[in-house]
Amino acid sequence: MTFAELLSTVFENLGRRKGRVTLTAMGVVIGTASVVVLVSLGIGLQRSTTEQMGAIGSLTQIQVYPGSGDSGPGMVVMKSAGGGSVSVSNVPSDQKLLTDVALRELAELPGVTAVIPQEYAQGGGMFSFEGLEGWGNTVGIGVKDMSVLGLTAEAGTLELSHGTAVIGHYVPRNFFDPRQRMGQEQPEPPDLLGKQLTQTLEKWTDDGSGGGESTRKMLQFRVVGIIAESGGEYDYSIHIPLADVTAINEWALGRRISRAKEGYSSAIVQVADVNQALDITAQITEMGYQAYTPQQFIQGLNSVFLIIQAVFGGIGAISLLVAAIGIANTMTMAILERTREIGLLKAIGATNQDVLSIFLGEAAGIGFIGGLGGVLIGWLGGQIINVLLMAYMVGQATEGGGPPPSMTIYTPLWLSVFSLVFATLVGLLSGLYPAMRAATLVPVTALKYE
Amino acid sequence: MPTPFARMTGLFKTYNLGGATIQALNGVDMDIEAGSFSVIMGPSGSGKSTLLHLLGGLDRPTNGRIEVGAQMLDKLDENALAIYRRKTVGFIFQSFNLLPTMTAVDNVALPMRFARVSRRERHEQALKLLDKVGLADRAYHKPTQLSGGQQQRVAVARSLANDPQLILADEPTGNLDLSSGASIMRLLSELHKSGRTVVVVTHDARMTRYATQTVHIIDGQVVTEAEYEAVLASLDEEMGEEEEEQ
Repeated sequence: MTFAELLSTVFENLGRRKGRVTLTAMGVVIGTASVVVLVSLGIGLQRSTTEQMGAIGSLTQIQVYPGSGDSGPGMVVMKSAGGGSVSVSNVPSDQKLLTDVALRELAELPGVTAVIPQEYAQGGGMFSFEGLEGWGNTVGIGVKDMSVLGLTAEAGTLELSHGTAVIGHYVPRNFFDPRQRMGQEQPEPPDLLGKQLTQTLEKWTDDGSGGGESTRKMLQFRVVGIIAESGGEYDYSIHIPLADVTAINEWALGRRISRAKEGYSSAIVQVADVNQALDITAQITEMGYQAYTPQQFIQGLNSVFLIIQAVFGGIGAISLLVAAIGIANTMTMAILERTREIGLLKAIGATNQDVLSIFLGEAAGIGFIGGLGGVLIGWLGGQIINVLLMAYMVGQATEGGGPPPSMTIYTPLWLSVFSLVFATLVGLLSGLYPAMRAATLVPVTALKYE
Repeated sequence: MPTPFARMTGLFKTYNLGGATIQALNGVDMDIEAGSFSVIMGPSGSGKSTLLHLLGGLDRPTNGRIEVGAQMLDKLDENALAIYRRKTVGFIFQSFNLLPTMTAVDNVALPMRFARVSRRERHEQALKLLDKVGLADRAYHKPTQLSGGQQQRVAVARSLANDPQLILADEPTGNLDLSSGASIMRLLSELHKSGRTVVVVTHDARMTRYATQTVHIIDGQVVTEAEYEAVLASLDEEMGEEEEEQ
């Protein structure tokens, strides 16, 4: 028999026993649907998490900190956004520092497109603007144009120059009215573009006898740009030129800072290709620095999600296994009922191969029909759960004021195709034993069977 | 003397039925001439159907040789035997063995499916065959919508599907009323006249009217007509005595 002939024979035969085929296929439908829904849930979880992860930092950036040396984690400079106190740790002599020379070394690594030193302002105090008060990290960026970092401007420019600042998307939200009483509505976040911010810096001068006095200094920045929401740290920071931060820190420390000797507290290494990030991170670590890329985290997370998907898929597969036994049962029963038919087919010239193909085909057909139904119902079920979940989460989000929900059940095409093929294979396998029994029946015995 | 169409030599067939060994054939030698109409007569359990099944390649002998043309049936593998059944043999059964869910024309076309005949061609051929057995107007009826005689005629048409040289009929009139049975017998006779070799197993003596060769079988052995009549007569006598005793 040709394959087309076999197919039409199989579906004719299945069509002859619609009731039983439907009932048997139902088991496969449920099995396949649960595989599809559960794995889709796993994939959806992974996708939404990875999306949020991607927001933590660009995947082509590596954060580099000075090496820890041999004396454990070396804390070079404690950044303190609000407190104003400054602490400098003992710097071990053998520590790899992010000096200008070191930065050049990093820049020479193949695949690296830019190395941008970063420094947090110390003694950073409160910001004020037209009677409002706000907080934010003041970060010095060692590059003129912040778009090198893969950022885009929401308003204004990303170019830094002396006395100007580029602020993150959420910085205006951190401004509030200090005279506001409890329960009163806070004003709308101010539009800060083009406006002058005043920062009050504070330092504590130790007089050596436990006492001391605090000194204050006022600083002014003009906001020249607002960064579009990046989902990362940039959203909450106020960025000024590196030289301005150095000036602030020199004031806070009360001494000159030599970058050649002390280095920077951190640097961003920008790489050309996402796929190189892990490799280059490893190289930088080898060189003695501390290097981090969000990819490391994503990698770990991916393996966790792989396990989640395997467990979910396994649970679904159990119901598919039960369905497989159902198919085997139906096919075995069919052979008992159709023994005479098998005998006749052989009498009129069907080979063992023909009979085997027909019965295997029927079992696979039940698997295919069930798989098709299962994929459809699984996909539909996922969509329904999505809609319900979204409605619920949107409700939660508006109550709590959190970010908009992004967790969804996602059924990729490959999962649908895979499930369909898998269900068909399950049918085929469950039909193997019954089909082989049917094929090897002695024709005359089969014909005489009552 | 021409070589026979089929030659069976020293055929033995033993069945194992629930631990008991049944000797169905006990050394049968038989020739079937090409173009003959052979009738194999015997009471039930005599092994006549077993003989037909062996000749049709539905079963294998325990011992002995079956030669059809150049083929040694007892030596053929499963596949070759299936092809022999497909090409050389047309079966007609006592219980018709039509597939109840298929129409008459589909039943007739079924053997051609395994012979790789295209769907269209086999449909046309099946209609022709149904016309030949006088059932052109019943082509799209299901077996349950046909009388026993009509069903058997569909089966006759089916046996001709792959144009076989050998037609084997196992008690073809056993389930039919007299007139239907007679029409089937005439049909088989026509097949014989058209050049096919026909072998019919029956215990209906009227079949012999069409036969060119009649073989009698009792207890798995070929016997002469005289011996056959003698055994039947003695059996009748025994039964008569039993009846008297009751």
